[in-house]
Amino acid sequence: MIQKTATRSPNVWFFAERTLIYALIAVFLFITLSPLAWVLSTSLKPNTEAISFPPKLLPENPTIDNYLFVLTDPALARSLINSFIISLGSTALSVAVSSLGGYAFARFEFKGKNVIMSMILGLFMIPIVINIIPLYTMLANFGLLNSLIALMLTFQILIIPLNILLMKNYFETIPIELEEAALIDGCSRLGVLRRITIPLSMPGFAIAAVLSFRFSWNEFILPVVLANRSDSMVFQVALYQFISLYRIDWGYLSAGITLSLIPVLVLMLTFQKQMIKGMTLGAIRE
Amino acid sequence: MPSIFEKAEPYLLLTPALAILLVFLIFPLFWNIYISLHDVSLTTILREWEYIGGTNFINLFNDPNFYTSLKITLMFVGGSVALQFGIGMLMSVLLHQQVKASGVLRAIFIIPWTISAVIAAFSFKFILDYNFGILNYLLNEIGLQSVGWLSDPSIVIWSLVIANVWYGTPFTILFLTAGLFSINPTIYEAAVIDGATKIRSFIHITLPLLKPFIVIDLILITIWSVNFFDIQLIMTGGGPLFASTTASLYMYRQAFEFGLLSKGASAGIVLIAINLSIAFIYHKLLRR
Repeated sequence: MIQKTATRSPNVWFFAERTLIYALIAVFLFITLSPLAWVLSTSLKPNTEAISFPPKLLPENPTIDNYLFVLTDPALARSLINSFIISLGSTALSVAVSSLGGYAFARFEFKGKNVIMSMILGLFMIPIVINIIPLYTMLANFGLLNSLIALMLTFQILIIPLNILLMKNYFETIPIELEEAALIDGCSRLGVLRRITIPLSMPGFAIAAVLSFRFSWNEFILPVVLANRSDSMVFQVALYQFISLYRIDWGYLSAGITLSLIPVLVLMLTFQKQMIKGMTLGAIRE
Repeated sequence: MPSIFEKAEPYLLLTPALAILLVFLIFPLFWNIYISLHDVSLTTILREWEYIGGTNFINLFNDPNFYTSLKITLMFVGGSVALQFGIGMLMSVLLHQQVKASGVLRAIFIIPWTISAVIAAFSFKFILDYNFGILNYLLNEIGLQSVGWLSDPSIVIWSLVIANVWYGTPFTILFLTAGLFSINPTIYEAAVIDGATKIRSFIHITLPLLKPFIVIDLILITIWSVNFFDIQLIMTGGGPLFASTTASLYMYRQAFEFGLLSKGASAGIVLIAINLSIAFIYHKLLRR
């Protein structure tokens, strides 16, 4: 923590300043949390109460019926399972592929290294949505629309550039001397990877995995275009279908919303410190 | 002595990543051009594509809705970037002032960015609903008229900006916080000894040292706002009529609502040009 004010003696200005800081933070805290709190409260209301007017802040007759509906509705349950399959698959693929690439950048000197690196950084700037039309025509012509595998592969473009950068920076924090010492002691290249590099890089893998999962689980535009048939639908798209299918049922929808934010929320809150550290590394080294 | 295998090793390691990027990111980027020069619609996609030259672009630039969408993009991006950056900067700096429980607060502030745009959009659609939304209810309680947050053409885009600011600001907080932590605290101690006030040391020490982070943050949030249309699609579908259709949503609607894939692709190429200009302008203005 930065010691900026502690050395000064407390005075009126100091307390006024502190009050202002905490007041602004409190306002922002309220703005951040109230929409989600409102959704959470609605998800526990019976459907008649959900859109009652005047609105009730807290449910009068709390119920978990909305959650039961979402979890037992065949189409919604299917889409939840699809989301887990795709997110886990895409996370595993992304961490594997990006680690290999990151390792190449961290440990090797080779021709075209800088060109390839700046190309990858440039790709991070390319907005994926511009590719939805060509991707749609490509996959349609190969008969790969509504394929979970195709979705996992397309999700990679959201995350690989960032993860390669992240893993490269992470590998660079591991002293190369450790690896060299092990080589001299008669360890094989593969043995070095298995015994030294991989165990030491676990925190890096964790950040990359959390980010991949977050991007895959939350992605909406790619799946709504590339996989909107009921058997290949992901959960975000299933939620969107609430608009077109029926008059929006806010009780069910808010339960769906709450369910869908749990996995990512748990992951992000668990790894929050590492995320900030990862970002600092990423930006400083650039 | 390095063998051939050792020389090839870094390339082999990079192959899977580059292959995926080539097939799903770089090739489609150019494939956009091909589509925009042909007549492709959702119904003719699996047949022979007829070459029609620049017709799609002529249609695009003759479409008044396209110009509307550019104007709306400007409002959406301008509002989103100004507020996201302003609030994000304020909050990351405030949290850096030895605030109690700042770690917990940061974790909470990041929440909107960790959830999906679908959730952010639906939450605000619910809150801003004309009939039973809680915001109009609160307005009525204090004696004001209900506002058509999502149905009044002159207001709707600002409602979307609010939702996008709620959703996007945490990224700037996270990113600038990382930047603030990278500044060596002893620099401030020296400034305090020299009698510098907080605001002065912010302007003369923090801002210059934070500049690399600020530049990247501004480029990213601007480009993201230009291309982002999840929130618009869910909250309004671009309506009423085209009142909340940004250029990126225009591209989507042409392709997947009206089925005109190649007209959408030509709008996509205009979007690419806009993105490149933004990156170029920021680069020139701020990188020095």
